[in-house]
Amino acid sequence: MKKNKGMILAFMTPAVLMFTLVFLYPICRTVVMSLFRIEGITDPVSKWSFVGVDNFVKLWNTGLFRISMMNLLKIWLFGGLIVMSLALLFAVILTSGIRFKSFFRAMIYLPNVVSAVALATMWLQYVYNPRFGLLTGTFQKLHLAALADIQWLDNDHKFMALLFAYCFGMVGYHMLIFASGIERISPDYYEAATLDGADKKNQFRYITLPLLKGVFKTNITMWSVTSVGFFVWSQLFSTVTADTQTITPMVYLYMQIFGAGNSVTERNSGLGAAVGVMLSVCVVIVFWVCNRLLRDDDLEF
Amino acid sequence: MAREKKMRDPVNWRRELRLAPGYIILTLWVLFTILLLGWVLAASFSTTKDIFAGNTLKFPTGLHIENYVKAWVNSNVSQIFFNSLFYSLISCSLLIVICAPAAYTLSRFSFAANKAIQTGFVSAMGVPVVMIILPLFGLIANLDVLNHELSNRLVLIFLYVGINVPYTTIFLLTFFANLSRTFEEAAAIDGCPPAQTFWKIMLPMAQPGIITVTIFNFINIWNEYFISLIFANSDKVRPVAVGLYSMINGMKYTGDWAGMFAAVIIVFLPTFILYIFLSEKIIAGVTGGGIKG
Repeated sequence: MKKNKGMILAFMTPAVLMFTLVFLYPICRTVVMSLFRIEGITDPVSKWSFVGVDNFVKLWNTGLFRISMMNLLKIWLFGGLIVMSLALLFAVILTSGIRFKSFFRAMIYLPNVVSAVALATMWLQYVYNPRFGLLTGTFQKLHLAALADIQWLDNDHKFMALLFAYCFGMVGYHMLIFASGIERISPDYYEAATLDGADKKNQFRYITLPLLKGVFKTNITMWSVTSVGFFVWSQLFSTVTADTQTITPMVYLYMQIFGAGNSVTERNSGLGAAVGVMLSVCVVIVFWVCNRLLRDDDLEF
Repeated sequence: MAREKKMRDPVNWRRELRLAPGYIILTLWVLFTILLLGWVLAASFSTTKDIFAGNTLKFPTGLHIENYVKAWVNSNVSQIFFNSLFYSLISCSLLIVICAPAAYTLSRFSFAANKAIQTGFVSAMGVPVVMIILPLFGLIANLDVLNHELSNRLVLIFLYVGINVPYTTIFLLTFFANLSRTFEEAAAIDGCPPAQTFWKIMLPMAQPGIITVTIFNFINIWNEYFISLIFANSDKVRPVAVGLYSMINGMKYTGDWAGMFAAVIIVFLPTFILYIFLSEKIIAGVTGGGIKG
């Protein structure tokens, strides 16, 4: 092993260096920053003033930030429910032995490879458009005037519109993970269950679901990680910078630090760092709770 | 193999009927997707007037290819397009050069920090970008590199590479771990030093994995938004996602809807074409590497 030391060092250094520069050091610095009051983001450490957990308290008392956290929670919970149920449903259908499986699978995953800006524009300017949009047009043809008149992008409906458009794009990814999980379950189980007289519904309830525990964990974790970074869709769906319907913590942070809009009350990069820390803590909590609730080590298959 | 067998199966109508609800649900969803994309594609060949008159799918005035010419030339879509192409290709190559040796080393040699590095990389895949963006911006802005075109581009490439290092390494790690060790043993017996064994034997053998992870990296970098928004300081260096966003905002005011849809299609095309040819590989890669499920 000794003679390989030089090679190990040479092969590992670039990757570890990049990791340290882009992840390790910035993460530590963000944690420290969240405890300080920092006037400008480029200020040297000597200009920082220690305030402890003040930044977190201040954030929590800021109405707009609380709204943004609520929006994120709603996206995570409702969006999560929609995406997970659709993804699971599609995965079950795909693995039930239908024809054209690869075609369906490829089409459902397609939105995931498209730029979010392009996809959001398609939804905004076509599906929800009040003049020539898909929804308005379809409802007019069906003579459902009440539905056709709905302004999908006004303040009452905007959040819902945003949520559906976002979920549409996310289903494919989670469906693939569910489908691969289902495919890994041995067909012997189903055969045995069929022989014992269990119908499809019970097979799903008592075989598929329990064996998908680990897959659920992966899906929920990945969903949480992507939800926390919710930004592009918000920015595209909001007409003003501080839109209470669509604002998320990431948008709030962007406004605070990179100064878009006039709602910035206080220039303090520490607050921005605190937003980052809070979101990361949320992800860790979700991950921890999932691991507690969905222990899959007792199931071997 | 399974597919071949299915092809030879005669159509069993009773079985297909039982699956009918499934077919209907998936078909509706897919039809909606096709309608969404198809309409935008049609609109990009239409005129703003026809779009507003609801005649998008009828083409009363023929195909308007000039929308694309206008978007490409006048609205500078060509600029953001080539910017992104340039960033994506360079970053993808750098990622392989940096990550493949690391992944190989992690999969083959046991050394003190091996486990710690793997854990670090896996955790980094779950770190939200807000957790790293502020220090990165603070430090990079202080270097005074964002005000010059070339250095600004290099900063973007550096960041694209950096944020994708953990994912690429872990993906390739699982791939290398599945390659048989007999090749290295044979090479060692023939007196080939380990570093050379890697470059000459193992790296070429990892080609399928490298291709898959490069496709993913390309798509990720092509679509990347937040980092580009913050670090791309001028119109000249903007990649497609951010460029398209400001263009859309602009076109809403000038009222050139057909042109806007043309720009959307141009940005959408590269990853879409890649997907048409490589969808099987991409789909296998989503569940194959990186995340364990």
